[in-house]
This record gives sequence, structure tokens and C-alpha cells, in this order.
Amino acid sequence: MKLQDTKEVQTEFKPKILAFCCNWCAYAGADLAGVSRFQMPTDVRVIRVMCSGRVPPELIIRALANGLDGVMILGCHPGECHYSEGNYLTRRRSHVLKRLLMYIGIEPERFQLRWVSAAEAAKFTAVVKEITDKITALGPNRWVDKR
Amino acid sequence: MVNQTKSRIIEKNRLTKLLDKIARGYHLIAPVRDNNVSFRRVESGTEVTLDYINTVLSPKNAFFPQTETLFRFSRDDNREFGIEPGAETDREQVIFGIRACDARSLRLMDMVFDGQYKDHYYLNRREKTTLIGLACFDYAETCFCPTFGIDPASGDDVDILFSDIGECYLVEAYTEKGAALLDRFAEFFTELRGDEEQLREARKAGLAGMKKLDINAIADKMAPLYEGDYWDSIGIKCLGCGICTYLCPTCHCFDIADISLDEGGERFRCWDSCMFPEFTLMASGENPRPDRKARVQQRFFHKLKYFPDRNGEVACVGCGRCVRYCPVNIDITRIIEDVTTGKAKNE
Amino acid sequence: MKVSSEEVQTRVKKLFEDGNIAHFIGYETGSDSLRVTPSFLKSGKAASRLVWNPLCANNLSKYLLDFKNVEGRVGIIVKGCDSRSVVELLKENQINRDKVFIVGIPCSGIVDREKLLEVLGVSPGDVVAVEDDGDAFLVTLKGGNQRVEKEKVLRGECLVCKYPTPVVYDVLLGEAVSSLPWVGDDYSLIKEQEALSSEEKALYWNREFSQCIRCYACRNICPVCTCPECIFDKKAPRWLNKANDVSENLFYHLVRAFHVAGKCVDCGECERACPMNIPLRSLNKKVEKDLLELFDYTAGIDVEQQPPLTTYQLGDLDEFL
Repeated sequence: MKLQDTKEVQTEFKPKILAFCCNWCAYAGADLAGVSRFQMPTDVRVIRVMCSGRVPPELIIRALANGLDGVMILGCHPGECHYSEGNYLTRRRSHVLKRLLMYIGIEPERFQLRWVSAAEAAKFTAVVKEITDKITALGPNRWVDKR
Repeated sequence: MVNQTKSRIIEKNRLTKLLDKIARGYHLIAPVRDNNVSFRRVESGTEVTLDYINTVLSPKNAFFPQTETLFRFSRDDNREFGIEPGAETDREQVIFGIRACDARSLRLMDMVFDGQYKDHYYLNRREKTTLIGLACFDYAETCFCPTFGIDPASGDDVDILFSDIGECYLVEAYTEKGAALLDRFAEFFTELRGDEEQLREARKAGLAGMKKLDINAIADKMAPLYEGDYWDSIGIKCLGCGICTYLCPTCHCFDIADISLDEGGERFRCWDSCMFPEFTLMASGENPRPDRKARVQQRFFHKLKYFPDRNGEVACVGCGRCVRYCPVNIDITRIIEDVTTGKAKNE
Repeated sequence: MKVSSEEVQTRVKKLFEDGNIAHFIGYETGSDSLRVTPSFLKSGKAASRLVWNPLCANNLSKYLLDFKNVEGRVGIIVKGCDSRSVVELLKENQINRDKVFIVGIPCSGIVDREKLLEVLGVSPGDVVAVEDDGDAFLVTLKGGNQRVEKEKVLRGECLVCKYPTPVVYDVLLGEAVSSLPWVGDDYSLIKEQEALSSEEKALYWNREFSQCIRCYACRNICPVCTCPECIFDKKAPRWLNKANDVSENLFYHLVRAFHVAGKCVDCGECERACPMNIPLRSLNKKVEKDLLELFDYTAGIDVEQQPPLTTYQLGDLDEFL
């Protein structure tokens, strides 16, 4: 059996990438990047959450199973979580989830966890650019035939 | 007695080519071995396996698919709604290798889907399908179809019956639809030689000792068991999974749901199970069958009492799949024996 | 397993007589000589139904959840793997230690019914009994006896079992078994899978998940799947569509593997229950391997050990692949 047919490589493939950004650090950093007029690809859709620790693995898996090309969690640096410990739990969870996703054939680039503080507008921009480039190069998420 | 209306022989080495040709003109569904043996759509005869007693999944999927789109709806730029029918069902189907138990189960399903209310999704597929049965000359320890008056080596419920009589298959048409198919592929068949009946009778010796339970008046014998705690000992073991219902060729519960996105969606129906906790769960949160014991009791009452009371037949064909695959070995044959011998009342 | 059915029966009868237990969960003979079925006793009278043999695959600890609110102590037979799921249930306070009387039996391997039938080339009706005979199983057939090397017919989880002797018990029948001779690198199969390319892995799992009929047997038989309302049954929000579709199936299996992460003890029941022969243990074993490598965690051996995903270390790995 084969996965979804390989269509001719679309030079115009625009990935759909989700970024769960924690309210206190990553989302503020994203906001700052916007206010500072930093240019970046527009393929990343931001979803604000109060803490990276509230992102359950179900959301990530649901996104990838539904055909999204990439999912990111962006949170506070370890030690700086607004709720003290949320990001430590995110970190452990993400390791396990990432390895499990790789085990069933989802490329590691499609799920990323990064730390971005409220002041790191440049880092946010860089992360968005880096992930968008990587996933564009990988191509669409062919694991599931899209409905 | 060889069915005289239309009988032929096919040499075993021609079977693959016959199936190839059938697959070109029809949706051919036949047993395939991957993780286990199940009925699947095949595109050539080489994919087919005949090395099985029965498949894990019954062929009910061909008439009552596990997931079936009923219709699609969409909204265009002017916010106008459009509805179009779901899966294409205009292709003729041939099911090859169906056993007598599964063939009989379709008659029981007909009582549900072709009864007072006609289910055109099911009936469409039923009409467009030709059933080619494969006679049984061997049986699994879990088989008990003779209980229900089913002859495993006969084609009473199919259009054509293939019987393996050694070097070739005896091919008998039981219906006009079957005879028409034999005509269409006449080039693969040859005339009878005269010894077929003898060979078949010899093969039927392999069926000796098949389990045949007594189901006389079972619906009446079930009635007094409604109260009491016979079902406690079974319900307590039950895991509440859907294996028995999904593998059963006569179970037919389904759910209907919609999936919708901005621009449209579809309504589909899918298999459901009376074993799941949502069965009879009401919107208020109240559930008249709140635990596994109640649901197990309901399942056996449905099969052995409610269905026969309403339709005149016990809703079981003795395929044995539920016995074979139940992870905790709940055994309908033991239950039937307990009921008919009166042991259930005394527990 | 030198422990005989009679020994179990005698012990259970005594437990009832002494008022130690009000219920007992064990095994009794099933539909044929190669099957056992869970047995639930309310008194010592029916104790003669109980059996103990290499066919006793079921992990009975799942049923302890049903006795949470029932009067009286419940006794249960556990093998090594089963006792580890009991430890996990105790960890989560799912069961009360005082309400359970654990009869532990060191296990030297459980027979895989299908493998046995294939290796011997017989059908279930030909088999009379299966007994443990050291490094082999002694199979009594209608036409005579046969010794079968254990490694050929053991269940998959037995081939990698590191805890044949129960880790928690009130009484231990038979002699403790410290290790099983055939157990080597218990992650060799996982490593083989890991070495495939993404494309190969995706094709493999796409094919396996397409076989799934979503009967939920794996979830229902799993002793550490304990949620009163399972995420997959929730209607608001509806996480999982009832349609059988490979993307829904992917969601189901991956989320379940994740939800039992740190609790799964590889008892193998999920794979045994699956009617479509999906290699479910592979997913759970992968998570188990990662938890060991990343956090030095092993499920089911220490009631005090914190579940790995509910805690953290400041020095946890911070690099991401």
C-alpha cells in the first residue's frame, strides 16, 4: 500500500504549521516581533495558551493526524515559567511524544518544542523561519490521506 | 444431490484466472491473508487465500460497511446548500468464498434492513451482489452452525456454491443470478463427469461431530431469566469491548454522525455496539443499562429472545467468532446450554 | 510452574474459611482445553473450579477496579506481570492495599495458543492439557504426549520478561524465579523498528492502523486504563470520531500509548485481545524504553516511585531532536 500519491513537487507548497505559544513568554515574544516589524513567513498560525504545560499530547497528535504539516510548542525558558513548573512537565512530555511520533514515521521536524521569552522577538522570528523552511523542504504531511 | 439447474466443474488451476476475470468486471471481495484472513476487495485472483475455515471479520462489511457516507453537504459562495449522495454503490459486487453460516446471516440481516423499513443503502448493495459460497468440509472447534439448521456443505443461501472435491471444484448455481454468472464466465467451466456427488459425500465425512445445540423454545426459556443473577457471572467477566458485536455477522447496531467543516461536510453511519457504555445512555445522563452486566444480559436476550420473538429466528448462525475471539472466553454455546437445560435458572 | 491447580484450590478454600477474603478472582477452564476464563468466587465451595497452568494468560488485576466499592476483601491470583500492574494501581490509589489479598505465583512462561497449534500442527480438540516442564511445555494430546521447547511457543511478552516473580503479594505459592533463561535484550525488536526510515515506518504503521476495527478491546482489557470516562468516549469535546479511518485510528493508538506511559508493564493483554493481530506491544514497549533511557524509570516495581510525567528534574534533557 502506498501513502498519498506524490504529486509533482509543488514549488508553491505552503505548509500549515501550528504554534502553541504560552501567554506570558512566547506569545509576548511573538507580539514584540510583530510590533518590531520583523519579517517572517506567514505559514505559522499562533494559538495562545496560558502555559506550555497545558498543551496535551492529544492536541498535537490530533493536529498531525488531521494532516497539519507541523506543530510547535513555544514556552518560557526552564526556571522562568509563570506557573513555576509547567514547562518542566512540557519538556518531559515532549521528549516522549517526539520519540513516539518518530517511531510511527512522522519526521522529527514536524513537532518542535522551543523556549522563547517575552523579550526574544528575534528568536521567535528565527524559530518561525527555521521551522517553516525545514517543513517546506520536507513537503506535506503525507502520513494520512487527507479527508 | 448435485444441483441440476446448472452445475459445472472448474479445474483448480483455472480458479485464479477466473477470479482475475471476475475482478475486472465486478468489485470482487474475497478472503485475503494479511494479519489474519479477512474479506477484502481484491484486484486479482492471486491475492485470494482459500486456506481458512472462516475469516475474522464477517462479510457483512460488504453490505453494511463499518463506515458509510450517507450524503455530503456543501455550501457554495452564495451560501446555497447542496446535498449529494455518498459512496458510489452502482458497481456490481461478487463475494467469493462465503461460508454457509455467513450466507445465512444475510437472511437474518434482511429481516432488519428489508423489513418494515427499507434501508436502501443496504438493499442496494444486496441486490447488486452475487454470492459465491465455499462449502465447508472441515470445522473449527468453535463452529456450531448445525444448531440453526444450516448445512455447511450446502448453498441454500448463496447464488453459486463451490465445493472442493479433490482435483477440481464442483460448481452449482442455486439461483438465476448464479446461473447467469456461470454463463458469463462459461469458458472456465467444464461438464460434470458423473462422480462429483460421490466425491462430495466422501468429503462430508469431515463434518462429523459438529456441535449441534438444542435451541428448542429457547426464547420462552429465556423469559424467566430476566430477573435473577445468572447474568452476573457472565457480566462480571465481560470487558465491554466490541469484539463480539463487530465480528458477529448478524449484529447491526449503528450510529449516525456528522462531520462538518466550514465549507461543508458529510453525514455518515458507523458500527456501534451495545457493549459500549454509550448504549442507551440518554442526554440527561440516565442510563437504564448502566453496567456491563445489564448490557451483557441485553445482548443475549436480543439474540435469543427479542429477535426470535419479532422475526421468528434466533439471531445467531453458529459461526463461533465471538467464542473464538472473546478475550475472556464468554461462550454463547455454554449460555445456550445453560438456558435450554434449565441450569441457568438454578444458579 | 510447579504449582498445581490443587494447591491453588486448597489455599483459596482456606482463605475463605479463615475469613481472610470474601471474594476471589482466579482462572477456570474455558471453552476448550487451550482456554481459561476468569473465575469469580464468593465462597470456598466452588474453589475446585480453579486452575493454574501455562494457559493462564489473563491479567486479572483489571477486575480489582470493579471491587473497589464492594464489601469485603477480594483475593486474586497474580503472575509477575500482573503484580506489576497491581503496583501501578496502588500508586494511583485506584485500589486499597488492605482490601486486596494477593496470591502470587512465580511464572515461567505462558503459552501462545496460536503458536502452539502451529508448531504442533494440531487443532484444539486434540489437546488435553499443557503443563510446565522446566525448559519446555509438556503437552498431553489425545494421541500421546509431546514436549515443546518453551521459546518456540511462548507469548511475546514472556520472551522479554524481567519480572517472573510477583513484586507484591501476601502469600507466594511455589518457588521464586529470579530470571528466565531465554530473556536477552528486551528491546531488540524496538531497535529494529527504530532503524527503519520514516517512510518505511509510516507505511508499516499506516498498514497496521488500517486493520484496526476500533473494538476497544485493547483499552478495555488494559489494567492501567482506569479513567471513569475515557477521552475516547467524551462527546464534549469529541476528540475521536466514531468513523473507522486511518487518521482516527492513529489518534486512538498514539494517545492511548501516551496515556498509559509510565503505567504500562507489558503484560501483553492488549495484543492478545486484538482480533486483528496488530502489534500493539511495539508502541507501548517503545514508550517504556524511552522512559527508561530518559528518566531511568521502570513501571510497576516501586509503589513510591513517582510516575515519570507528573514530575521533573532540573537537569532533564533539554536538547530536542
